[in-house]
Amino acid sequence: MSQNIKSLHVNWRSAASIFVLLLIWELAARAHLTPPLFLPPFSSVADQLWHSLADGTLATDLALSLGRAFAGLILATLLGVFIGLLMARNRFAEWLIDPLVALGFPSPKIAFIPIFVLWFGIASLSKILLVAFACIFPIVIGSYSAARSISHVFLWSAMSLGSDRKSLFLHIILPACYPRIFTTFRVAVPVSLITTFTAEMVAGGGGMGATLIYSQRFFESPTVFAYILVMLGVGLLLDLTMVQFQKHFLRWAEI
Amino acid sequence: MHFKRISVTAVRAFVRVGPLILIAALWQLVCGTGLVNREFLPAPVSVAIAFADLFSGGDIAKNLLVTLYRAAAGLALGTICGVWIGLMMARSEKFRAYVTPIVGGTYSLPKSALIPLFALWFGIGNVTAIAAVFLACLLPMIVNTYHGVVATPKVLVWSAETLGTAKHELLAHVFLRNALPDIFTGLRIALGFSFVLAISAEMIASTNGIGKLIFMFGENGTYDYMFAAIACVVVVAFLADRAMLAVTRYSLRWHESAVSRLDERRA
Repeated sequence: MSQNIKSLHVNWRSAASIFVLLLIWELAARAHLTPPLFLPPFSSVADQLWHSLADGTLATDLALSLGRAFAGLILATLLGVFIGLLMARNRFAEWLIDPLVALGFPSPKIAFIPIFVLWFGIASLSKILLVAFACIFPIVIGSYSAARSISHVFLWSAMSLGSDRKSLFLHIILPACYPRIFTTFRVAVPVSLITTFTAEMVAGGGGMGATLIYSQRFFESPTVFAYILVMLGVGLLLDLTMVQFQKHFLRWAEI
Repeated sequence: MHFKRISVTAVRAFVRVGPLILIAALWQLVCGTGLVNREFLPAPVSVAIAFADLFSGGDIAKNLLVTLYRAAAGLALGTICGVWIGLMMARSEKFRAYVTPIVGGTYSLPKSALIPLFALWFGIGNVTAIAAVFLACLLPMIVNTYHGVVATPKVLVWSAETLGTAKHELLAHVFLRNALPDIFTGLRIALGFSFVLAISAEMIASTNGIGKLIFMFGENGTYDYMFAAIACVVVVAFLADRAMLAVTRYSLRWHESAVSRLDERRA
């Protein structure tokens, strides 16, 4: 009971903090402490958000961006898990790929955007491949170290019970890696969003990022703020979804 | 004996970079046969020549310094503020209640989305880039410091108190010290972010810096120079990451499990 009151207390403070922030924003803008160009009042941002929602531009942009992000993410996950597991089981693959991963992992992938634009144009393909390129390194490292840390007891038991290589891989190695792979997938999701939005800002070609940068160039500040708020909401929602997913489907794993 | 050890290390290093040499050789070969358009994929040799030209002309050094300055300034500010906020959140329940929704909300915001806004507020140049880097570095520092401080074992605090540690000394000597491995974890993430954000900000809103340089070479169609500048970024980011690992290892040499975890995690 006291625990409930305590958490209610915390929630009250959290809600108040958001509310006060929005109130200060609205009042500061209405009092013209700053030019409306720099800080439009929250109400006009909400108004703009409503308009973008109503005329469908927001939905089109969001669908395009999310489509690119997910396509790249799925590509990176499929390829990355495959490469990571291959590296863990095959010494030649490990020798060949390890230095590439070591060099690629810390590098700022967004620097490669001109190369992707040069090779694949400014439409969706270059963005999808850049997202895949940005997301694949943490996934390779995660699935590699997951496969390396499988207890040998599992492998030995399965083998002594007569598993062949294929079922060993499908029924022991891959499931044992699921939790760690999911953890790295969670790392990769925000990376895919950031990369998509940034690539659209830099190279154009439609989507949330492109509209955001156009609005900024034409000084349509309410649109800038509205799109940033939407990006914030999308990031938050995706993270919450993944927490729920983890709770339901990977309950057996202690992460 | 000593000489032998050096030669073993040299052979190991050679084996490790072997694939990179192999790929460069293959790349050169493919370009030589003319299977691909050399416009689209400049040969490694011409990239190397372009790099030498950029390096001797001072273009690389000048723009790289600008980028490094922006990344370092944002990283330093973000680290100082992030550690402070994280510590406060862990030690004060009220502060945590007020700050948590703001931290939680901005945590999942792609920070590069703020670059156009900062460009609107601060114009084109240093401040925009530093502000973007600062915000991107702030969040991982807050979260990691917070987790590290919260996880401080009560026993450590009690022992320090019975040995007469004053309350204000507890923060630095017990709580922050215990959070140090986590702070370094955050620092490594923030270091990566600092490069990404500095370069993104330069591509979107800047007149100089290595990000702008890469972008300009791309627009001009001088692709061998573009590849050279990108290769330079990759190498610098790699070296910075390794330097951070070395500093971490040195600073945490008293902490056995943190160092062994670090070795295990090394990619």
